[in-house]
Amino acid sequence: MMKRLFMKSKKKQISPKTDHEQGVDPDFDVTLEQFKKAYFYPVNTDFTVRNLHIGGINKRAAIVFINTITDIQVINEFAIDPLIKNQEQNILIEDIITIQSMETKNTINDATLDINNGNAALIIEGESKVYILNASNFEGRSVEKPDNESVVKGPKEAFNEKVFTNISLVRKRIRDKNLIVESSIISKRSKNMVYMLYLKDIANEKLLDNVRERVNALDTDAIQNLSLLEQYIEERKYSIFPSVLYTERPDRAVSFLEDGYIVLLMENSPDCLVLPATFWSFFHSAEDHYLRFPYGNFTRILRMLSFFITIFTSAIYVAVVTYHIGMIPPDLLLAIAATREKVPFPALVEIVLMEIAFELIREAGLRVPTPIGPTIGIVGALILGQAAVQANLVSPIVVIVVALGGLSSFAVGDISMNFTVRLIRFLFIFAAGLFGIYGMTAVFVMGMFYMVSLKSFGVPYLSPLTPSYQSSKDTLFRRAIPKEALRPGYLKPKDIKKR
Amino acid sequence: MGEPKDKIGLKEYTAIALFLIGIKATDDVPAMLFDSLKNAGWMGPIISGLIAILPLFLLLDIAKKYQSKNSIDIFYHLLGKYVGFFVLFLLWVAGFLYIVLDTATYSDIVATMYFPRTPAFVLYAILVGVSAYGAKRGLEHIGSVSWAVFPYLQATLLFAIILTIRHGNSGFLFPIFGPGEWEVIKESTMSVSIYIDFLYLFLLFPYVKSVKDFKKGTWIAFFIALFNLAISMVSFVMIFDYNTAMSLNYPYHEAIRSITIGFLTNLETFFFPFWLIATDIKFAIYFYINIFLFGKLFKIEHFEYIIPAFATLILFLGLIPESPTFSVFHMRHFFGQILSPVFFFLPILLWVLANVKGEMRK
Repeated sequence: MMKRLFMKSKKKQISPKTDHEQGVDPDFDVTLEQFKKAYFYPVNTDFTVRNLHIGGINKRAAIVFINTITDIQVINEFAIDPLIKNQEQNILIEDIITIQSMETKNTINDATLDINNGNAALIIEGESKVYILNASNFEGRSVEKPDNESVVKGPKEAFNEKVFTNISLVRKRIRDKNLIVESSIISKRSKNMVYMLYLKDIANEKLLDNVRERVNALDTDAIQNLSLLEQYIEERKYSIFPSVLYTERPDRAVSFLEDGYIVLLMENSPDCLVLPATFWSFFHSAEDHYLRFPYGNFTRILRMLSFFITIFTSAIYVAVVTYHIGMIPPDLLLAIAATREKVPFPALVEIVLMEIAFELIREAGLRVPTPIGPTIGIVGALILGQAAVQANLVSPIVVIVVALGGLSSFAVGDISMNFTVRLIRFLFIFAAGLFGIYGMTAVFVMGMFYMVSLKSFGVPYLSPLTPSYQSSKDTLFRRAIPKEALRPGYLKPKDIKKR
Repeated sequence: MGEPKDKIGLKEYTAIALFLIGIKATDDVPAMLFDSLKNAGWMGPIISGLIAILPLFLLLDIAKKYQSKNSIDIFYHLLGKYVGFFVLFLLWVAGFLYIVLDTATYSDIVATMYFPRTPAFVLYAILVGVSAYGAKRGLEHIGSVSWAVFPYLQATLLFAIILTIRHGNSGFLFPIFGPGEWEVIKESTMSVSIYIDFLYLFLLFPYVKSVKDFKKGTWIAFFIALFNLAISMVSFVMIFDYNTAMSLNYPYHEAIRSITIGFLTNLETFFFPFWLIATDIKFAIYFYINIFLFGKLFKIEHFEYIIPAFATLILFLGLIPESPTFSVFHMRHFFGQILSPVFFFLPILLWVLANVKGEMRK
């Protein structure tokens, strides 16, 4: 049987543990051998076996663990030490070991799961179970400032790659027994865990079931982190609009939780997913609510403006210069005509050329190693701006138009929505090049029809604007905080009143 | 899609109704009224509106009486299987022809006023294509889009009207009754078909959240539309005087060409996209209602699949009339005069039958 087992595990070398469905053999040597086989000991260098002899009850034992993800100090102090020094003869193993938490597992398979998660397994002669000692210790960074969603006013903690730190950051803000942290394994080979957070007395059960169903229906070997999980669980994978919100701010996640949303967390993800998401959740930023009412709404207006500027300025330039020259006041028209005189390209080509250049600068700026970062600025500003104009490749006004659009696009904070806006911009530019304002309007109307038909986990994308629901009407503008007394009705929360 | 799954709310329904009727101020309906009513043209929508209150009231009453029933079934129930089918079929044919003529008019507006050098076929095809796409998305989404954009469109319309009035001369409004009181009333009566869209909207009442919302929405839309029509026609008379207004086919588009604010002298390209959005949504609704009716008549469950075929048919039919600015204008005028009595008498007939049958059941 061992031979067959070995052959099989050779065939699928990566997961020998799937063949260990049987229970733990009371024979100490057999069990230990099974563990060693499972982890390819001693080829696998960080798999550690510590043999010992328990004093008092006089039994052989072994502690097996992966030393790179386990806290060796803890095992030493609270397990190995008391076991060896034990003198009493009638005593349970649970009473010898002083480790903070431990449990028993009856199959090798279950035990390996725990070992993979950084815990240690204690095998004892003559027992048909394995003791699991909780001592996991994965390396990671500490809680730092958010990189992508920085605020001037408000908390400056961000999620990091350790999921338990992240949960603790959430628990720190909601000290309530109704905050539930549900976990489930979503991948078959890597056994990635996803943690679903919600408030039991607020979140809608149907929504919860929907999310659970979708998370558990995944049939894949590995999902490393939330950015990948997002693409597994979203409804329209080819859509230009995002339908799951991705944020690295625990305070933002908590404010969503308190409204009845569901938050997903995962190991190795310095962020969380918020479901369901509407257009407005991408449009808003954490700071909108931290700033006082007039200031918060002022930034909202600015952001909406930048939305429109990003999408429309270049397209309007193309449309106006190509089709609707009458729209421009005569003096300005003459100025534009004078600068365009020497440029050999039609306006559409000119704009597309500069837009692509701008996108290249942005992409290169992201990827460039920090020491040569300033080069990008010089290349971008001087060569593409100044020199292109002097070489009569583009007219100066095009540089202004494209720069304005590009600058405004940075005001759209959310990464996904930022891409959406940037991509839509090209759609409008081409529509404007083909049919002027008429084409732009056609694209706009079709886009609106498409946008309202989107749904994120059953929630219409533009709600509560339309279809309207009972809510605090936090859409384009927000209301004064005491007046935001309702949770969003489109989530169908169990308790809609907040205040 | 098929039948709407979710019902639409009050806001969405009102916006839909307003798009159907309010936008008529910007096509050639004002021209038709000016033709016969001279400078009293702006009274046309008010007087015909007053007349339209009766059929409208009766329709809403029927909707209230049969709130649990489907609107199509009401026709069958009241008129019998064959007559009911026949009447609905005629309504469908009328609606279809109306769409053909209307799309022809609107694409003619775009072609003559804004894109004289672009082939009319392309402009027409884009208009029909966008509207067909909207119709295919279904009633809930048409409603949502309508409500999402409506406030901005209404604001720009009012803005244009205010600017027009500012440039206008109120003396052009007098004599207030134009060709004479009797003439005004007579001609206005013939144009009550401006509001015939409510008869088609009646078909949608089971898909509005409640009959109460349907009633409320209908009245709100009716009065806002009436106001829009009247005030914009007042502004046209004030800026052009009736002689010019009579000879202009699309006075709104001429008006926004004439107005200025400060250093901006050509505002039409600013107003044009807003008007175009309204147009696309309006035809999306028309398409939807028409195909919905067709689907109901011939028991086609997933009627959205015939939308592309219909759109193509409408496109080619609408391209047939030569020089649409004149020919379609006259056809529409003639058509409107036929439909006016239909809009007036059909609800009365239905209501009387509903009451008679209701009593018989008791």
